[in-house]
Amino acid sequence: MSTASIEGQEIDDAIRRWAVARHLPEAHLARWLALAHEDRAVLLKAAETLHLRTGQLVAAFELLGEIALRERVTIATIMASDEIRCILDGAGSAPGRARDLLDTLRANRFPRLHRMTARLAQEIAALGLPGGIRVVLPKDLSSDEVRIEICARGAADMLRLIDAITNARASLARIADLTGTAESIDDEV
Amino acid sequence: MKFNLDAIHIEEGVRTSPLARRVLDALPSGTAVNYVADGRETARPIANVSDPFGAGKRQMTIMRRRSSFLMACPAGSREFACCGYLVLTLASNCPMDCGYCFLQEHLADNPGFQVYANYTNAFDELERLRRNAPARGFRVGTGELADSLAFDSLTGISRDLVEYFSRRDDLTLELKTKTDEIDNLLEVDPKGRTLVSWTLSPERVFHSTEHRTASPAARIEAARRVLDAGYRVAFHLDPIIAYEGAERDYLELIGNLFDAIAPTRIAFISMGGLRMTPALRAAARRRFPDDPMLVGEEVLAPDGRYRAFIPLRLKLYSALSDRIKKADAKLQTYLCMESASVHRRVLGEVAPPPGALGARLAGI
Repeated sequence: MSTASIEGQEIDDAIRRWAVARHLPEAHLARWLALAHEDRAVLLKAAETLHLRTGQLVAAFELLGEIALRERVTIATIMASDEIRCILDGAGSAPGRARDLLDTLRANRFPRLHRMTARLAQEIAALGLPGGIRVVLPKDLSSDEVRIEICARGAADMLRLIDAITNARASLARIADLTGTAESIDDEV
Repeated sequence: MKFNLDAIHIEEGVRTSPLARRVLDALPSGTAVNYVADGRETARPIANVSDPFGAGKRQMTIMRRRSSFLMACPAGSREFACCGYLVLTLASNCPMDCGYCFLQEHLADNPGFQVYANYTNAFDELERLRRNAPARGFRVGTGELADSLAFDSLTGISRDLVEYFSRRDDLTLELKTKTDEIDNLLEVDPKGRTLVSWTLSPERVFHSTEHRTASPAARIEAARRVLDAGYRVAFHLDPIIAYEGAERDYLELIGNLFDAIAPTRIAFISMGGLRMTPALRAAARRRFPDDPMLVGEEVLAPDGRYRAFIPLRLKLYSALSDRIKKADAKLQTYLCMESASVHRRVLGEVAPPPGALGARLAGI
């Protein structure tokens, strides 16, 4: 047996041990083991280093597969990017870094949605609305419906918050427009 | 273009029908022909194959349709602005295999390609419709559960349809296709009552996702030829897939279309974004795991379908709509399966009621 195949066997054994310990469903294990050597090794490294929970591993695996397919790159290439290497090799708690990994993968999986959501969040923060008023955008910008929530304690508080909304009327209308208009995406689609 | 069939099943009750005879006469030698008591049995998924839906596309069953032929478009819903399209189901399933096709979910339980030998009964249903609504006009199409022309070289159904509609001023037939199978059409005079429409996608989508279809250039060329033969033509940019670079590609596609066919000669252009129920998306990804078009930035929308998130969708619609209006401000456009709100934002007007839009699209 060559050194490479011994290494491959060791990695497969480690993957199987991880799968048993974490009750990973058989279908996911089969897909994991069917990956190219580098891809399954890098996924194992992430799982072990960040102490991924089963659901997190499954989510990361799915996101990685979709990014790899769309970008025509390997999972190993994605995981070798600076931002992900920073997470894998960085300081901080393993659960925190696991969350960072999934957030980063989601941002890569939905790059334009991520940019757009960040821009809208910035615009909303810039309104400086008092606590007690929340501008709620549709989940994943899946519709053009914007909701404003008021959480008041007593009449005076309610009137104060309503006044704040009235004062921000034009800016709020702009947010509602941004959510549902073509102009909200600056770059070419 | 011609499609391969593994076998033809003919229901005993229709073995002497004109349709069965025409198909048998035109069938390439070597295709297996079986006679069966009940065609519904052969339309069921084939057991022990990895892709029953794909296998069903290569099994044609000629049979009697047991239910009505005419129905409202299944895409219609209170949630959406609607184009008033009526559907004639003369066949079910399609020999082409588009990765995004809703039939993968809709026909999962009976994927066999069915053609209905008693299709002339549909004309009786149309006559009843006309009698019940004498002052109205209707646009009626055959391209919802099947491609209107995919097997027309075998079945020859289009000739009967075009002739029937050519004698009725209150009906417009829409034949919807992704093929260039137009030979039969060129032999019949539609007298202005038939509209042939093509779904168009950029080359990139065609290559990655629209398997066994005619190329976009071949579709446009076929449209040009039927236009010269007296047919009206229309186009569906549907589904629009919002991949990176889509705007440029779709604008180029529209440019190519207008170079070949003057916009003033086009009856209408519809637009609709990619939309997939979770079950459809799962089926599509299972069947086409390497198709990058199926892993775009779609999110779960309020209607329960995965769609491109709304600003992205609106950006694309608006860019394409502007391009079309710039070419011809009078060219009719509409959005398929989109809310009244999206309709208003993109087209700048409240969506007309289904009947009115339907009549407008039909040119009645």
